[in-house]
Amino acid sequence: MTAYTVYLEQLPGLLDAWSRDYAVHVPVQTEPGFYDFAPWGKEVEIAWDYDVAYNSPKRFLLPSQEDLIAYDARSCTAEPVFEAPKQLLFGVHPYDVRAIAQLDQLLESGAPDQSYRRRREQTLIFALDPIRVAETAFWSTMGAGQADLGFDLYWTKIGPAAFLVVVGSAKGEELLKASGPIPQASVAERDAARRTAEAVRLVADRRGLRFPWQDIPALLEKSWNSRLWRERSEMCLACGSCNVVCPTCYCFDIREEMDLNMKTGRRFRTWDACMLPSFALIAGGHNFRAKALERYRHRYYRKGKYIYDLVGELGCVGCGRCVRACTAGIANPMEVYNALWEEFK
Amino acid sequence: MNRRNFSPYVPRPATLIRKERLSALVTLFEFAPDNGRPLAHKPGQFIQVSVFGVGEAPFSISSFPNPDTHHFEIAVRKIGSVTNALHVLNEGDKVAIRGPYGSFFPIQEFVGKDTIFVAGGLGYIPLRSLLRYQLKHRNEFGRIILLVGTRNPSERIFVDRLAELSARPDVDVYETVDVPDEHWTGHVGLVTTLLPKLTFDPDNTYVAMVGPPVMYKFVIAGCKDLGIHPSRIYVSLERKMKCGLGKCGHCQINGLNACISGPVFRYTDIESLQEAL
Repeated sequence: MTAYTVYLEQLPGLLDAWSRDYAVHVPVQTEPGFYDFAPWGKEVEIAWDYDVAYNSPKRFLLPSQEDLIAYDARSCTAEPVFEAPKQLLFGVHPYDVRAIAQLDQLLESGAPDQSYRRRREQTLIFALDPIRVAETAFWSTMGAGQADLGFDLYWTKIGPAAFLVVVGSAKGEELLKASGPIPQASVAERDAARRTAEAVRLVADRRGLRFPWQDIPALLEKSWNSRLWRERSEMCLACGSCNVVCPTCYCFDIREEMDLNMKTGRRFRTWDACMLPSFALIAGGHNFRAKALERYRHRYYRKGKYIYDLVGELGCVGCGRCVRACTAGIANPMEVYNALWEEFK
Repeated sequence: MNRRNFSPYVPRPATLIRKERLSALVTLFEFAPDNGRPLAHKPGQFIQVSVFGVGEAPFSISSFPNPDTHHFEIAVRKIGSVTNALHVLNEGDKVAIRGPYGSFFPIQEFVGKDTIFVAGGLGYIPLRSLLRYQLKHRNEFGRIILLVGTRNPSERIFVDRLAELSARPDVDVYETVDVPDEHWTGHVGLVTTLLPKLTFDPDNTYVAMVGPPVMYKFVIAGCKDLGIHPSRIYVSLERKMKCGLGKCGHCQINGLNACISGPVFRYTDIESLQEAL
């Protein structure tokens, strides 16, 4: 892979050039200790050392609300509605790159999701190696500490004012040279990037799964009747926060609204959450997952087994967002899988 | 259609041709797609029906795929917002449809074999599609045995047609109700209680069953007791289906999407799934 060296002082010019064609989103500090993606502007300070963005970048590809069709109730006809802004996500950590790559796979399989596909085609992803690890993160032991694909450029900070940038696509390379030639990276600079990433991974490896992540699907084969599900789900508030912040959760509800003229309207999708009691409720009152236990367990099976059966990767990338978001303190996949491991190994 | 602008969520208009009251809460609707093309569905598949302004809901197609007409039928229980909206439509009114979606009963497997249809309540509706096909191609199939269970006599549907079928020498119809009224003279009990009445060759018999979630376990156990191999038992498992495309997540049965892998499943394909039955 081609690699270049980019200096911090070059970035304002580059970002400015990119933002002429793209809506550029960068990690920023929102409050002490809290980070999220925000639109880049000349006054915006990029949080190079952010540990995790509170909300996942999935919202740029699967907005929390998205129109699907515009209908005319008189003729019973409808037109598709697509919205796909040109956007550039700058500073996406590898575990989130992997989460997006997984969404790509799942939403592209079978009947490809046209809305997602269009947004994805208009989106560039510039990955960034983390230099700090969130206390709640366990991505390294989930095998999501690095991304080999799914990015247009991959940035690693190799000192106070320099980055090694690996090319992931022709478009990424083109944008990198948007404001003039950039020097190719030397062997020493490549080594520096590798050492940086490894140092962070050593820190990350101190916390996480106590067994190989590849064993999770087989572990769940044995765990259906574990007492753990009841014990923890009894505290579940069924709020859906874990689903909302998860970078790989993509379930949605479809709703519609009539315009005030009562003739036309729009049908849209909104995020839904399998932790909400109504998720599997059908007209007539039957609920296929009526109990908190059933919903709670489903989430861990979805992340640890069902997604794996579909794409050969875990549905959990270990970002730890759900750990933070859960007010009941029961949404931690690392704790759950470790506890099951102790019980069934 | 401009492929560049294709969306699977865009439904196409269909016109209500006929409404027929089947019971206090259940109505049969016959629609004709405005594009004049047949649905080309297979027995057991479902469609998404939209009443714009209210919403969209999945319905099993109750008619059999007829090459001579592009009309199709659904039978609907008035139970939620979309079904209530459907019930106030008049002939000539329009809805919008997309589909057909999902898996289907493998008709060719049933050829030359006997079939036991087990219908619990509204489960008769999706089964009717397969039944009508077999009746139309009567000489391709063996015995047709129909077990119909209803909660109480007032909720029975397709009563006249069942009477017609009963009168036929080549169809065996067994009916039961859970709770009788003073006029009911037939069998009383759950649909499983009809199984012991049957005489058939288990090695040559297929089972197709559709009913409320609580029904399957018991009927399947009964069929196995009578010697029917689990691989010849087909069930239709309906779930909440919002998108019909295997994306929205609502219809998951463990790791399967019922809207794609189902609703019709061979029992051996789902017997190990805890959430299936």
